[in-house]
Amino acid sequence: MKRRSRSSIMTAQYVSLVLPGMIIFTIALIIPMFLAFRYSLTSWNGMTPEKPFVGLENYKKLFTDANAKDAWIFTIKFTILNTVIQNVLALFFAVILDSGIKLQKLYRTILFIPCLISAIVAGFIWMKMYSNILPAINDFLGTKINFLLFGSQETVLPGLVIANNWQWIGYWMLIYLAALQSIPVDLYESAKVDGASAIRKFINITLPMLAPAMTICIVGITTGSLKVYDLMVSSTGGGPGRASTSIIYSIYTTAISGRQYGYGSAMSISLVAALLVVAVIQLKVLRKREVQL
Amino acid sequence: MKSKKIAALALALTMITSIGAGCGTNSGSTASTTSSDSSAQQSTAASTTAADSEKVTLKVLAGQSTTDAGTEDMIDKALAKKYPNITLEWECVDWGKDFQPKMQQYMQSGLPDIMIGKAQDVATYGSKGLLGDMTGKPYLDNVLDAAKPGVTIGGKTYGIVYNALYQGVYYNRKIFADNNIAIPKTQDELKAVIEKLKSLKITPFATHFLDTWSIGNITMQFAINDVFNKTPDWGDKFRKGEVSFSTSPEYRKAYEYNKLIYDNTWKNETFSLEQTECDARLVKGKAAMKVSGSWSIQNFLDVDENADFGIFPFPNQTGDSKLIFEPNITFMKSANSPNQDAIDKVFEVVTSDKDLALEIFNFTKTASMIKGVTPTFKNPSQKDIDKYVADGKIVDANTGNTQLVWGGFQEENAKDIAAWLQGKIKIENVLKLSDSRKANSKP
Repeated sequence: MKRRSRSSIMTAQYVSLVLPGMIIFTIALIIPMFLAFRYSLTSWNGMTPEKPFVGLENYKKLFTDANAKDAWIFTIKFTILNTVIQNVLALFFAVILDSGIKLQKLYRTILFIPCLISAIVAGFIWMKMYSNILPAINDFLGTKINFLLFGSQETVLPGLVIANNWQWIGYWMLIYLAALQSIPVDLYESAKVDGASAIRKFINITLPMLAPAMTICIVGITTGSLKVYDLMVSSTGGGPGRASTSIIYSIYTTAISGRQYGYGSAMSISLVAALLVVAVIQLKVLRKREVQL
Repeated sequence: MKSKKIAALALALTMITSIGAGCGTNSGSTASTTSSDSSAQQSTAASTTAADSEKVTLKVLAGQSTTDAGTEDMIDKALAKKYPNITLEWECVDWGKDFQPKMQQYMQSGLPDIMIGKAQDVATYGSKGLLGDMTGKPYLDNVLDAAKPGVTIGGKTYGIVYNALYQGVYYNRKIFADNNIAIPKTQDELKAVIEKLKSLKITPFATHFLDTWSIGNITMQFAINDVFNKTPDWGDKFRKGEVSFSTSPEYRKAYEYNKLIYDNTWKNETFSLEQTECDARLVKGKAAMKVSGSWSIQNFLDVDENADFGIFPFPNQTGDSKLIFEPNITFMKSANSPNQDAIDKVFEVVTSDKDLALEIFNFTKTASMIKGVTPTFKNPSQKDIDKYVADGKIVDANTGNTQLVWGGFQEENAKDIAAWLQGKIKIENVLKLSDSRKANSKP
C-alpha cells in the first residue's frame, strides 16, 4: 500500500512536470503538422471557407514544379557547403583556441558574437557589406574585386554561404571546444610516449573522441541549413529572380503570397519528411563512429 | 505503465481530431465572413450610445508603403482631439510583403475593425463580403468623386481613397536642361535620348532590381499604356482563354521594355542596389531617369531639398502614353465589426480634418483625394503633373491592378523577368510561365 501510494505520487509528479511541455508541444507542433497534412490534400487558397478536396494532386505537382525543384537544388547546395565549411572551420578555430594561445577568451568572444545577432540583421549587414562597404575597399586600394555577390545568379550562393558561416561558426566552435577540453590528457601522453606525431595524434585520438560532437554539429548544421529563410528575407529576397530562393522561402511565397495554401502545405510536409530522413540517416551513420569510454 | 498508455492514447486522439478540425472551421468561417447588413445595423444601433461615452479601442491593420510610416501617429493625435474616448491599436506592416498574409490570417480569426491598404484591395476583399458598405455615409462627401469608382463594387462603396501617387519616368531636370534634351513622346525619341545620355557618359536609367517589386511595378506601368488602355478587360479575357501573354505582341513589348532599361542602367549593380541608394544617385546626377512613382519623392528631397526633377509618361508604341495615377492609402472597415459607429467617427475625422490631411500629404509627398486640401510640399514634378492632368493625359493604375493581382501573379512574373534579364531563361519561356499562372491572376 505504501509502495503503491509512493509510486502514485511519483507518477503524479512526473505527469505534472511533463504535462505543460507536452501541451505546448502538441498545440504548437503536432496539431499544426496534422492540420498541414489535411490542407495539403485540398486546393485551398488560404482565404475562402471552402477547402476543395483534391487528394494527392498537390504531391504529384511537386514532381513537375520547376520552381520547387530549383528551390530544393539551391537548398541542398547551400546545406552541403555550410555543413562542410562550418564543421571544418569551427573545428579549426576550436583546435587553435584549445592550444593555449594568448587572448583566447577575446578571440572566442569575437567569434561567438555574430551568433547573438538575428539572421534578419545578419542578412541586412551583409547586404550593406557587399553593396556599399566592401566596394569602397576597391576605391581605396584601386582594385577591381567583384564584391557584389548578391547581384548575380552565379555568385549569390557563395555570398549567402559566407554570410551564414560568418554568423554560425562561433556557435559550433564552442561545441567542438567543449568536446576537445573533455578529451583525457593521458591519451595524448601515451601517444607521445609511443612516438606519435601531432598529425597522428589528431587523426587517431582527437577525431575519434570528437565523434559525438561531430554528430551534434553535422546534424545541427544540416537541419538548420535546410530550414534557412530569414537570411534571404533581409538580403536577397530570394533573388535575383529565384536564384536564392530556399525551399522554405518558396513554401512561404507559394502558400501566402501565391494564395496556394494547399499546395504550400504539401511542400512543407515534403520538407518535414526530407528533414526526418536526413536526420535519421545522419544519426545512424554518425553514431556508429562514436567512441564510448 | 498505465499512465504511459493513457498519454499515448491522448496524443493519438489529438492527432486524429486535429485532422478533422478543418471541417469545423468550414461552417464557422462561412458564418464569420459573410457580410450581413442587418447584423451590421444591429451592432451599429447597439454601439451608438456606447461609442459616445464609453472608451472604445479599435484594431487597425495598416499596410504601409515606405513613405507612410509615421502617419499613424498623426491620425492618433487628430482623433484624440475630437474623440478622446476612441483609441486605435495599430498593427503596421509592409503592404507589398505582409498585408495579404495578415489579411489571410485575420480572415480565419476575425478581421480588425479598420484596414488600411490600397484601392485594389477593395476588389480583392470587397468581393468576398468582408468589407463594410460606406455608401451614403456623410464622410464620403469629403472625398473627390474621381476616387470613388475604383472602390465601388455593384453600386456600393467599400473604401475611402485618401491620397494618390503618380507613376512615370522621373527625370533629373538639370541634366535634361543642360544638354538640351527634350521630353520623349515616342519610343524612337526615347532611344535617341538614351544614346545622347550615353555619349555624355551619363547612365540613362537608375534602377534597383534588388527589389523585385520594382520590376513588377514598371512592367505594369508599361502594360497599362500598351495593353489595358486599349483593352481594359484584358485580364478577364486572359482568364477566359481569349488572349495570352505568349500571343500578345503588346504584352511581349511591355516585358521587352525591361530589357531596354536593363541594357541602359548599372547592370552589374542593379541586383544589389536598394531603392534609397538608387534614388540618391538620380538626384546626384549619376543617372538621368528613373521609372518610378511618387514614393521616390521623399528620398529625392531627403538627399537634396533643392532637387529639381520632373515626370513624364514612359513612351509607348503608339505615342499616346499617359501619366499613371494610383489611388494609394485606402481606408476600409470590417463588415462584422461591432464598433461600426466608432469606426465611422474615425473616418469622419480622417476625411474632415484638413490640418491632418495636409500634414499627411506633405509628409508622404502625395496628391490629395480629399476635397479642399492641396498639398503644400515642394514638389518640382507638380507642374508636369498639372499639365498632364489638364490635358486629360492621366490613367488610373487600377485599370491594370484590378485585372491582374499583385501577389502570386505580377510578383512571380517579375521574378521570371529578372531571371530573363540575367540570361537564365528566354523571353518566350517567361511569357509561357506568365500564362501558366492564369489560375492565380484574379484579384
